[in-house]
Amino acid sequence: MRRHPIIQMVAIGAIASAIGIALALWINWFPADAAKQDHPIDTLYDVLLIVSIPIFVLVLTVILYSVWTFRMRPGQENEDGPPIHGNTRLEVFWTAIPAILLVSLCSYAYAVLNDIEKKHDHELVVKVHAIQFAWTFEYPQAGGRSVVSPQLYLPKDKPVRFDIDSADVIHDFWVPAFRVKIDAVPGITTRLRVTPTKLGAFPVVCAELCGLGHAVMRSTAHVMTPAAFGRWLAQKQAPAAGGGGAGGGARQLTQQQLVALGRATFTGDGGCGACHTLAEAGTTGTTGPDLGRVLRGQSENAIRTDIVDPNARITPGYSANIMPPTFGQTLSAQQLDGLVAYLATVSK
Amino acid sequence: MLAKLRAPGWYRAGLFTLAAIAFAYVLVGIVRSAMHFPNAWDDGDAITIVSLIAVPLFVLVGIGCFDYWFYWVSGRPTRPEDHSAHGAQSWKDYFRVNTDHKVIGIQYVCTSFFFLFVGGLLAMLMRAELAQPGMQFVSSEQFNGLFSVHAALLIFLFVIPVFAGLANFVIPLMIGAPDMAFPRLNALSFWMLPLAGLLMVGSFLAPGGSFATGWTAYAPLSTTMPLGQLFFTIGVQFAGASSIATALNFLVTIITMRAPGMSFFRMPLLVWANFSTSLLVVIATPFIAASQFFVLLDRALGFQFFNAFVGAGKDGSVLMYQHVFWFYSHPAVYIMMLPGFGIISEIISVKSRKPIFGYRMMAFSLIAIVILGFTVWAHHMFVSGMQSWIRIPMMITTAIIAVPTGIKIFSWLATLWRGVLHLDTPMLFALGFLTTFTCGGISGVMLAMIPFDIHVSDTYFIVAHIHYVLFGGSLFTIFAGVYYWFPKMTGRMYDERLGKLHFWATFVFFNLTFAPMHVIGVQGMPRRVADYAQQFAGMNLAISIASFLLGLSMLVFLYNMVVSWRLGPRAAANPWRALTLEWQVSSPPPIFNFDAVPTVVGGPYEYGIPGAVHGIFQSPAEAKPMPAGSVATSPTTE
Amino acid sequence: MEASAASLHAGAGAHVEHEHHGPPEAHRSSRVEPQLLGMLLFIISEVMVFGAFFTAYFFIRVVDASPWPAHGTELPKIIAGFNTAILLSSSVTVHWALEGVKRGNRFALKAGMLTTFFLGATFLFVQINEYVHIGFAPSNSAQASIFFGLTGLHGAHVFIGLCLLAFVNVRAFRGHFSPEQHRGVEVPGIYWHFVDVMWVIVYTTVYLL
Ligand code: HEA
Ligand code: HEA
Ligand code: HEC
Ligand code: CUA
Ligand SMILES: [Cu+2]
Repeated sequence: MRRHPIIQMVAIGAIASAIGIALALWINWFPADAAKQDHPIDTLYDVLLIVSIPIFVLVLTVILYSVWTFRMRPGQENEDGPPIHGNTRLEVFWTAIPAILLVSLCSYAYAVLNDIEKKHDHELVVKVHAIQFAWTFEYPQAGGRSVVSPQLYLPKDKPVRFDIDSADVIHDFWVPAFRVKIDAVPGITTRLRVTPTKLGAFPVVCAELCGLGHAVMRSTAHVMTPAAFGRWLAQKQAPAAGGGGAGGGARQLTQQQLVALGRATFTGDGGCGACHTLAEAGTTGTTGPDLGRVLRGQSENAIRTDIVDPNARITPGYSANIMPPTFGQTLSAQQLDGLVAYLATVSK
Repeated sequence: MLAKLRAPGWYRAGLFTLAAIAFAYVLVGIVRSAMHFPNAWDDGDAITIVSLIAVPLFVLVGIGCFDYWFYWVSGRPTRPEDHSAHGAQSWKDYFRVNTDHKVIGIQYVCTSFFFLFVGGLLAMLMRAELAQPGMQFVSSEQFNGLFSVHAALLIFLFVIPVFAGLANFVIPLMIGAPDMAFPRLNALSFWMLPLAGLLMVGSFLAPGGSFATGWTAYAPLSTTMPLGQLFFTIGVQFAGASSIATALNFLVTIITMRAPGMSFFRMPLLVWANFSTSLLVVIATPFIAASQFFVLLDRALGFQFFNAFVGAGKDGSVLMYQHVFWFYSHPAVYIMMLPGFGIISEIISVKSRKPIFGYRMMAFSLIAIVILGFTVWAHHMFVSGMQSWIRIPMMITTAIIAVPTGIKIFSWLATLWRGVLHLDTPMLFALGFLTTFTCGGISGVMLAMIPFDIHVSDTYFIVAHIHYVLFGGSLFTIFAGVYYWFPKMTGRMYDERLGKLHFWATFVFFNLTFAPMHVIGVQGMPRRVADYAQQFAGMNLAISIASFLLGLSMLVFLYNMVVSWRLGPRAAANPWRALTLEWQVSSPPPIFNFDAVPTVVGGPYEYGIPGAVHGIFQSPAEAKPMPAGSVATSPTTE
Repeated sequence: MEASAASLHAGAGAHVEHEHHGPPEAHRSSRVEPQLLGMLLFIISEVMVFGAFFTAYFFIRVVDASPWPAHGTELPKIIAGFNTAILLSSSVTVHWALEGVKRGNRFALKAGMLTTFFLGATFLFVQINEYVHIGFAPSNSAQASIFFGLTGLHGAHVFIGLCLLAFVNVRAFRGHFSPEQHRGVEVPGIYWHFVDVMWVIVYTTVYLL
């Protein structure tokens, strides 16, 4: 046999590990990174890859090498290997090394955990309410009513604390771009801390199976400049104020503007398109009925009731308690008017 | 006809099914009238629920699982055991209550493979739906049902029982016992399984669809679900009772029925593996039974274990469900892995023609995994909102579990070293297992690192981990074991070429199916969704195509098994030149395993020592004249 | 399949020749009796079932710090205390029966088993009566659910135990046990002791603490 099989293998293993690590680091694993929490987690992952790839390569090289070198050759059918029963030094070695490695990884992970869950002094508190199958975000205001919104708006670079609860079953609040998630548990309030660092719109996902609308329980997190965030909040607070993200002021809207606002709400703030197919809006959801079809010839009032109190009347073939009953609160009066106007127009 | 209805068997079982439904109807009616409920006699829900419990029990009585005990408890003379229930002479005998551990073993294996194929077909439907974003073939309700039934079948009716089945066949032979300690209990545990499986598959017929809360059935979602949920809740009770009874049987058999000379440290590692698994089962399984009891009580009788909104403020405890559930279900993942470790130890040692490296450490690491396995359950709850300090000790214990597992992996590698490797199908699956399981184990260790788990929990990264450990781990060992003992179980050889084809197709398409799931998981695709964002479309299509090919490779296996069982060449008694006792008798083994109890004189893996034996068939004193055909030493039947 | 058919024949032949049905006597590798070991393992599992119900109790009462019992309800400690005494005394009588059969005292066996059965039945009767008059239902609160869950689980075990005792009684009166052959008394007896001990724990945690 060859003289230094071990050295040979170490060389092969080192090269293979290097290639493996290079490949693993090259793959673009993570979604957009949009919060202070992202960097430590991404680095932890890279470290985990760097540690585990050589372990895997070790196992693989030994197997491949053994298969190649020690495979049975013709004529060896009745031969046996040497009766080696063990080697205490080796066994101690491969117990101790992984143990040390794992304890160090745990310590590192613990440090990262403390880092990403650090409390801050001036946190913006956002209450997150989960219900089958919609998110509601509530911004408590000093000495007044809170502002509620079906979509999440956050100022850039300000630490946020989410207080999360649920009205029915377990949901899970997750913004992949922020890397962190936590369950919304009925009966208790769970907490999550994030500091957004990047402007843009990022998906909010429900990550815990919560029933048949689980896949469509989505919303959007908008990270804005602090100034824009302030404007949005002020606008939401103003008593007679109109829509959320989709423009509109305190003034009276024309029918055409109303329809436009409705369409924007349908595909945007309201998130109706996730469940409903509507040809005009280009949405293809199938959890709820095809509105273009079922709304034909319905009065504006009936449509309004359908939206604010969906269980009042159940479309044949669908069950109750699927369409969230929260839109009456989370959408502004004007958005609702818009939706009704829009749906009435397109289903004529 | 009347005689047929009275004798144990399927006719009587049919009659008893009707009786069970009538019983449920009357019971519900009487109880509801007594409590002055309106419409006491036509509550379909309640009648179904009671039937779900009563029908399986009555069927078990009908096919005759309890006959002996009924005689016994009523003090009537029990019919002397005439052993007519031993051995199987035609395929029909596999459909009767039979107390022979070899028959039961085969019954187990065939039943559980049936459920593998059903569960796998459901996975194919899932992959078809997931091939493109948007909804194509099934509604989101049905999709939730698909993955729930898929996982429930594969876990409770495939992996756990198939290991019990292989062990049932092999362990009494390996330890030199004529049968299990409690043969009738053994038969009862088997017959509970198909009933549990039928309940789970039957849930698709329930009004409102099958259970759709995942195999984890988290409350309070599961307590608010339509009737189909209870098919799971109750099915799990039967599957659980079955596995507790089997585990108890294994423990007693292994402790009290070993052949003379077989000390604990002369037992083959498969016996060790099943010993430790059985400990896990006996201690942990009651917890899942209880968790599903809670769900049943909440759902059917209006208990409030998980209702957080009764009374003033918080009251029921939602997180309690998860603690109870995972206190079983984490150990359950080792219940689904340790017997596989045992199989691999047998195969690697025999096929490398070398003693297993570090036998004692192999045994101790099994025990270490059992003990550590009870201390890590909350790693499934890192994002559940439980008290946050619990996460830290759980992270450490979870990571430490990699140490005993690593000892096993490295010892297997050292066993390969300088051996004479016979690279046939069982060995290929064993080597495949080493690579894929290491992959899955390492992704498990990554998941143990809390900050990373916070990101990927409930994503496809978890789905990837699940399949790397369950498919690449458990299923690979099962394939290895089935090929390895196929000659012993059936007396025929399988087709080696098809076996190799099966291995390579499975190995390649398995990796192509499940490896990309790591990537989409980290990128943010949540699990348990029928519809997903456009950005994942390409990967998902590739995964679906690979998974169909993986499914087709299963057909190669099926064909090989069926055809070889019927037409394969006769197998020699010991085609692998193995030392353990099951190979020292004919293939298939004689009806009572051994004509005389063997005496164990050495370790089970003394390969490489010329002339070494593990057991000899000399029962010293009363060496009876051996009746013809008793094949203790005769090598082949042909 | 031929091999197995052949050996089946061999087995049948052996049966005729040596009056020896079936397998050779298995070797006993442990001094523990299989039946006893089986029962002990079964009891371990049973303890774990109770453990799961106590986990529920622990979560509601300790982790969530809910009041115990729920506001406005009361648990009948005294009656349940009497009931405890009844059940505990049945443990003594079952022991008496076992000692009796070991010494060949058939009267002690029969009388002991019969009293045990009736003591157990009384316990169950009182328990059901308590349910009827307790003034709350499992659906009223989580505490009530736990109360009915734990005591009901125990009640179910008493019921199973009673069935076993009934069988033992039947066989005892038919004269099936002897000083050499009394496993059929011993094993159900162990189960009955387990049921009693479990009740002491349930009573202490649910009623007293
Ligand atoms: C056969 C089944 C099986 C097995 C054996 C394992 C083994 C392990 N699992 Fe896995 N797991 C599952 C089945 C299994 N798991 C399932 C089904 C789920 C999902 C449940 C659900 O939610 O539906 C799950 C989920 C799951 C989670 C929860 C994820 C989440 O939901 O957020 C975690 C987290 O810690 C985890 C960790 C581990 C670890 C650390 C191991 C370890 O035991 C692995 C140890 C093995 C090795 C590490 C490889 C060999 C070792 C070496 C070569 C030594 C050197 C290695 C190092 C130093 C790293 N698993
Ligand atoms: C032993 C366990 C086991 C096994 C073997 C498998 C096997 C497979 N699993 Fe399974 N899976 C789980 C255990 C297992 N799974 C668990 C525990 C979950 C979590 C569920 C939950 O979230 O609650 C899960 C979840 C799960 C998901 C995620 C669902 C979701 O979260 O939305 C997916 C998605 O692709 C999937 C796919 C597959 C595929 C393609 C196979 C394939 O390997 C199957 C191959 C087998 C066959 C195909 C059958 C045999 C072939 C035929 C009968 C021929 C016909 C063939 C064709 C039509 C091509 N599984
Ligand atoms: C989680 C899924 C979901 C979301 C999100 C959703 N719906 Fe629905 N919707 C349904 C389902 C399911 C039904 C049918 C059952 C019912 O009538 O309640 C329905 C019914 C309706 C109907 C009644 C149709 C009829 O037959 O008259 C209207 C109108 C409607 N939705 C409008 C909306 C609007 C507007 C929005 C967004 C602001 C919205 N839905 C968001 C699921 C949803
Ligand atoms: Cu809400 Cu999933
Ligand atoms: Cu786990």
